[in-house]
Amino acid sequence: MGVDQSNQNFEHPLFEYMEKMPGLDLAMTTADKILSWGSRNSMFVFPMATSCCGIEFMAAACGRFDLDRIGTIARGTPRQCDVMVIAGTITVKMAPRVKKLWDMMPEPKWAIAMGSCAISGDFYRDIYSVVPGVDTFMPVDVYVPGCPPNPDHLLEGFRRLQDKIKAKRAGEWVEPETRPVSGMQMPSVPRYGTDRDPAYDQAQLMATQNMGLGGELLAAGVTLPQPAPQPVQSGEGGDS
Amino acid sequence: MSWPTDAATLCQDRFGLEICEAEGPLVSADQALALATALKDELDFRFFVHVVSVHYPEVEAIAADEEKGIDAIIGTPDHTMVHYRLRRLANPNRSTDTFAFRIKVPTGESTPSLSGVWLGADWQEREQYDLVGTVFSGHPDLRRIMMPEDWPGHPLRRDYAIDTSHFPWR
Repeated sequence: MGVDQSNQNFEHPLFEYMEKMPGLDLAMTTADKILSWGSRNSMFVFPMATSCCGIEFMAAACGRFDLDRIGTIARGTPRQCDVMVIAGTITVKMAPRVKKLWDMMPEPKWAIAMGSCAISGDFYRDIYSVVPGVDTFMPVDVYVPGCPPNPDHLLEGFRRLQDKIKAKRAGEWVEPETRPVSGMQMPSVPRYGTDRDPAYDQAQLMATQNMGLGGELLAAGVTLPQPAPQPVQSGEGGDS
Repeated sequence: MSWPTDAATLCQDRFGLEICEAEGPLVSADQALALATALKDELDFRFFVHVVSVHYPEVEAIAADEEKGIDAIIGTPDHTMVHYRLRRLANPNRSTDTFAFRIKVPTGESTPSLSGVWLGADWQEREQYDLVGTVFSGHPDLRRIMMPEDWPGHPLRRDYAIDTSHFPWR
């Protein structure tokens, strides 16, 4: 493989792994580095797009973000793919099919869990038919959180995967990614039939009518309808 | 909404049904097949829109008590209400119209399948059987369509426990 010393404008990512021989039209590298470079820059993607994250994946594959320029070309069959992108909610009925497609992919292979549904099930987690995260039944290399993640977040996920492949090929230890913890607080709304705190209803009503403006409407003098007076419990709060 | 007059007349005169303004007539399971055939063949309701089942759990009757301020509640057994909706498409003599009727099916009994009248009812009745558990007798292929084949119970019933375990995730 020749390297033209005179043409400095021609740059190729492979050159950084090459040791240029002085005075000779030759360059040397190791087979590991070549293989690592090849597998990092030709990650064929199997889009396991089951819901809205799939739309964002399509946006990432289209002209503005252009996944193809980093060599991640989407293919329609698992036999030709290296990376599976699980983009969407996986139901209990779909999960065995996803596992089967994953098993069809040839080694070496990697998986990206894209979006909070694929990561943990998110707010569909407690529904009877939804799997709480794809890492319950298959390995996941990179988590891309978001609902849905932007195309640049997905590109960042591919870059993290490239780093991971590079380190693995170089024989370094790679710390497995842990499932990202959601910052979402589940509201402790009492179920129907239990005692509800009237203050909770009032706060919810005000938040709804104020449309998240942080009290701006109230400061401007807009009055809100008051809820019906609650019967006072005997023995407690006898101030009225 | 008002129902088309010829369909309302057919229900009242031939089948003796009372028309409900909101949800259409309440049909008994014995009359359902005859009514469906008449609606399709004579009144041209050839477009099957949907069938939707709703499960209602058992309600115990409560007598009115004026001292405690309790209104009377009529007890109903555990049942599903099957709502059908039909449409006829416009032709030179008639504009497009919708019509609806419903069948009350007590739990443990079945309602005749209308997939012999409208082929489009086939998969929709399978879906209602899958999710709500309504049994359609005479259906050519009544098995689950959405949930896995070995799923326990029917998830849209009111008495379905939300924490019903299913291997291996819960």
